[in-house]
Amino acid sequence: MKTDTKKAAVPREPWFAARRELSAKRAAVLTVFSFSLPLLIWCAVSYLPFLWHPDVELKISADREGVTTVYTPGDRVSEEFFPQFEEAVREQNRQVEPLMSLLKPVEAGSEASIRRANKKVLRHLASLLVENGWLTEEQTKDDAAIFAAWKEIATGARLPERPRLSHENLEIIRRNWAAMSAYSDVYDSDNFVSRPLLSLIPQGRPANPDYLPAPHEVLISGYKEFSKPAEAERPSMWQRVGHSMRIVFGGFLLAALVGVPIGVICGTYSFFSKLIEPFTDFFRYMPAPTFSTLLVVVFLANDAPKMALVFIGTIFQLVLVVANTTRRLDLPLLEAAQTLGANQLQLLTKVVIPGILPNLYNDLRILLGWAWTWLVIAELVGVKSGLTEFIETQGRWRNFDSVYPVIILIGLIGFFTDQILSFLRGIFFPWTSDGAAAASNPLAKGLLFVPRFFKGAANERLPYHPDSTSPKQA
Amino acid sequence: MIAIQEPDPLQYLVQRPDVSERFAALKKRPVVLSVQHLYKEFECQTGAVTALKDVSFDVYRREFMCVIGPSGCGKSTLIRILAGLESSSDGQVLLDGNPVTGPGPDRGMVFQSYTLFPWLTVKQNVMFGPRMSGQRGTSAESEARQWIDLVGLSKFENSYPHHLSGGMKQRVAIARALANRPRILLMDEPFGALDAQTRSQMQSYLLQIWRNLDLTILFITHDLDEAAFLADRILVLKANPGEVNEIIEVPVPRPRTPSQFITPEFVATKYHIDQLIHPNHGGSEDTLPFPRMTPQGDDVE
Repeated sequence: MKTDTKKAAVPREPWFAARRELSAKRAAVLTVFSFSLPLLIWCAVSYLPFLWHPDVELKISADREGVTTVYTPGDRVSEEFFPQFEEAVREQNRQVEPLMSLLKPVEAGSEASIRRANKKVLRHLASLLVENGWLTEEQTKDDAAIFAAWKEIATGARLPERPRLSHENLEIIRRNWAAMSAYSDVYDSDNFVSRPLLSLIPQGRPANPDYLPAPHEVLISGYKEFSKPAEAERPSMWQRVGHSMRIVFGGFLLAALVGVPIGVICGTYSFFSKLIEPFTDFFRYMPAPTFSTLLVVVFLANDAPKMALVFIGTIFQLVLVVANTTRRLDLPLLEAAQTLGANQLQLLTKVVIPGILPNLYNDLRILLGWAWTWLVIAELVGVKSGLTEFIETQGRWRNFDSVYPVIILIGLIGFFTDQILSFLRGIFFPWTSDGAAAASNPLAKGLLFVPRFFKGAANERLPYHPDSTSPKQA
Repeated sequence: MIAIQEPDPLQYLVQRPDVSERFAALKKRPVVLSVQHLYKEFECQTGAVTALKDVSFDVYRREFMCVIGPSGCGKSTLIRILAGLESSSDGQVLLDGNPVTGPGPDRGMVFQSYTLFPWLTVKQNVMFGPRMSGQRGTSAESEARQWIDLVGLSKFENSYPHHLSGGMKQRVAIARALANRPRILLMDEPFGALDAQTRSQMQSYLLQIWRNLDLTILFITHDLDEAAFLADRILVLKANPGEVNEIIEVPVPRPRTPSQFITPEFVATKYHIDQLIHPNHGGSEDTLPFPRMTPQGDDVE
């Protein structure tokens, strides 16, 4: 037989292997991707104009005669509609063109209304000028300033950059300016052009629908909303956050306070299990929101009915989950305790309860997540309140860039609460495998120092110190 | 076993004079545990099943008794009834003459599955029994330390059970049962989950503990070597229904050492138990209906 002289290459660990743990480094990389990928997709869809962008966000818009729907700059129209819109305005201009000529007389008495319409045309540029920094937000109705800007553009002294005006619109501005300057070179409300002006042709840029704002828009709106101070009728965003958390945690804590003891006795004694669990099992299928009107009648206004909804939405699940966890406790532990002389009460307090605590803690962690899902429905009960009221109102105004920060914040609160609780589990329960992991964590070591310090002090006082005995290890 | 020449089937009854003297002395001791006409019937889907039928035996003070039998003979049922974890259908169990009605600290139990309380340290586990009976304070603690010392785990008194190996866990379980100062220690295949080396180590530990304490032990096992090595007497059960087959007085002299495994007494005792438990064994291997799947001349035996 030939001996294999080829040096065996160290096989690379596969990325995909059923039920195999990845290395810590790979796991960390994937965790980072887990958050950055969705964010990256969001950025790509928002900032790459060739991805999706089915709408046109108007930068310049024009009123049309005899049409009820008015689009203003910032509005979005669909890609399909935009050319029709442009064409409609061009058609309108074709009808106005002959009237622009100074040679043809204007119908007597119509001068005032034409002047009024012309002032609207004048302001068509207003939001574009604001975006280019020529005007401030407050100056959008400052006709004199806008008039001056028209002059600058028409004479070519300065041209807006964001966006550039189309040649078509530049031409219209020059022609309109010619008409305007024929009356006066500076803005004069009483001596404003009274011959019809041409409307600007709509201009815009590709945009996503308003329900998908770009990340930076969400960030900016979020910052603005969260830094607004409270007003008389309008709580600050942080007050809203506090209110919402009070309802979720309040309802959940009440449910835990009532549900955990019931769950534990159901899991311990078949008597209570058979008496309580079947009805609980039935009740939990009735959706909690169906009780909302009832809850308002019983608990009246304010937060009570809202917390009650979280309570009802959580407690039935909680009882069943806790009962199940209690039943999963190793039966031989109970038998061992009995052979060591534990009575019924001691079995419950010294074996069942300490035995299930780590799992109970985990259950409550999961059920707290469950309680969060009732938040929005609970806050709609009775008078809308908290974060939900804000989401509702802003959503109705289609200010989705303000809605997203709140939704994301709710997610972050829930996520970090869970992460913290999961971390604390190892500290609370040092005998579990989590505990072993936590003991090696520097933060946990710091937190564990305090109880150890007192325990150590207690040991010093004992006459029989563990280190003084020689171990008889075989 | 097959390699060894078949011993005389009755040789296990031959006792050296010192051994028979020991048994005579043992039987003069008071009876700690008396099992009288014990029956246990289960209700199954297929009807009533008799797990134990008219089981009677006595265990004397400071006796080490092993219970052995084929699977399904009701060994575990028996020990659970003795511990009070299950009730019998008929008959009674007397501990020092008093009928047993439920679990209690006078009968310590060691389970195969360790059953240490994972949320308590080794010391707290050992103190569990005394605490249940209301013992508090430093006296209970120093006493617990002595028991831990006895099983050689002083270094681990503040460790949680999940840091311990199987053998160490079982030593804690023994210390925990002993801390209650039980009249009898019931052990349900306690070393069944341990590897062979740890098991033989635990067997010598147990014998040392038993020798130095006022302790009566009833020990369930399915391991013939273990039974013959540890026991004064071996209660052999029959299966379906579980009945007393024979109570064997082990003729191997004490103190026991692993070197006795090849003595004629030991081999004879083991052979006899094997005959009782596997009556159809007949010395020949059970053959599987397995066709030859290797080429001729490539034989391994």
